[in-house]
Amino acid sequence: MKFFGFVIVCLTGGLLLYGTMDLPDWGDPGSPASTHLSDYYIEHIVEETQVPNLVTAVLADYRGYDTMFETAVVFCAGLACFLLLRDFRPKKDRYFRHVPTGVMLHFKNPQTRLIAGNEFEHMDKDWVPSDMIIKTVCRILIPFIQIYALYVVAHGDFSPGGGFQGGVIFGSSLILMAISYNLKTLVKRVTEKFLSVFAALGVLIYVGLGVAAMLMGGHFLDYGMLAPLLPSDPGHIRALGMLGVEIGVGIAVMAVMVIIYINIVSEGRHDEGL
Amino acid sequence: MHILINIAAIFFLVMGLVFFLGGAVGIIRMPDFYSRLHPAGKLDTLGIFAMVTGLVIFNLHHFSLETLLLSIKMFLIVFFVFLASPTATHSIVDAGMRAGLRPWTQKKKKE
Repeated sequence: MKFFGFVIVCLTGGLLLYGTMDLPDWGDPGSPASTHLSDYYIEHIVEETQVPNLVTAVLADYRGYDTMFETAVVFCAGLACFLLLRDFRPKKDRYFRHVPTGVMLHFKNPQTRLIAGNEFEHMDKDWVPSDMIIKTVCRILIPFIQIYALYVVAHGDFSPGGGFQGGVIFGSSLILMAISYNLKTLVKRVTEKFLSVFAALGVLIYVGLGVAAMLMGGHFLDYGMLAPLLPSDPGHIRALGMLGVEIGVGIAVMAVMVIIYINIVSEGRHDEGL
Repeated sequence: MHILINIAAIFFLVMGLVFFLGGAVGIIRMPDFYSRLHPAGKLDTLGIFAMVTGLVIFNLHHFSLETLLLSIKMFLIVFFVFLASPTATHSIVDAGMRAGLRPWTQKKKKE
């Protein structure tokens, strides 16, 4: 059986290698990829959009539909995770820790209540000792990660970056909070309603900009038509439109990342996990 | 002057490479999980420090406000790596201990 697998792997690899013989050389100016559109992009992007980063210009302006539906796909992923995994039944067992002494309390009756505050804190069933080093370092780092995420989103049109990357960095800063403290800390600060609204809002910003361009008399996602709405010189308006679109993408990606994480680690209960 | 700056930059870059090489060799040669994390956590941090120092010195060839700003940003990377890398190593060791992985000892090897 192993021999059989080996033969199949060798055959597939050989076929793939045989297929690469027909590919154009790397950097060949006569290859199909660089004969039709690339020249146009390289020659005209800066004067048409005033965006120095060609990748962002192609992604958010020339191929705006593509990116819009990518954002919609990300939103659908979050929605599917919510619909498949969300479980509204409350858990019976709850654990609390008395912070000064470290004594654990186990509540089996769902009716008993204990307010978590300075003296008692929620505990997950998978017992995690409170680690001061990790908590402190994460508390210091999380704001910087979030500022960096905003920097990446805002610099999308000037340097590498953009909505998807910035959104992922922002979402991972929130996930880091859930890992270093516990899931309840995150869910208390970033509620489910907030996340759902923001995931939809990101897509809405993107589509809304397109529709706004349509209402101003242009095509869908034709940012140049937004010039009367925004106080800027008309040449720079496409860059501003792209920035708006990137912000929408960033918000949607951030919210969907956190929704997927919370739903998977807590098996849809949003109370404890990891 | 330029030659001196180049020599300093090359010195720091080579120092960083030596530290990275030591870290890579250590990860392969060390006997168990915990001792492998030791080169991974320490030498990588120091290697990044040395390499970024070399790059900063090279970047300050033409001294101006722009290059100074870029250099400060590069040192910010080092600062955050210094914070994050030992913490990550610490949490991995912590998780390993909690999962019940015994540290390697000489006796175990003789059996």
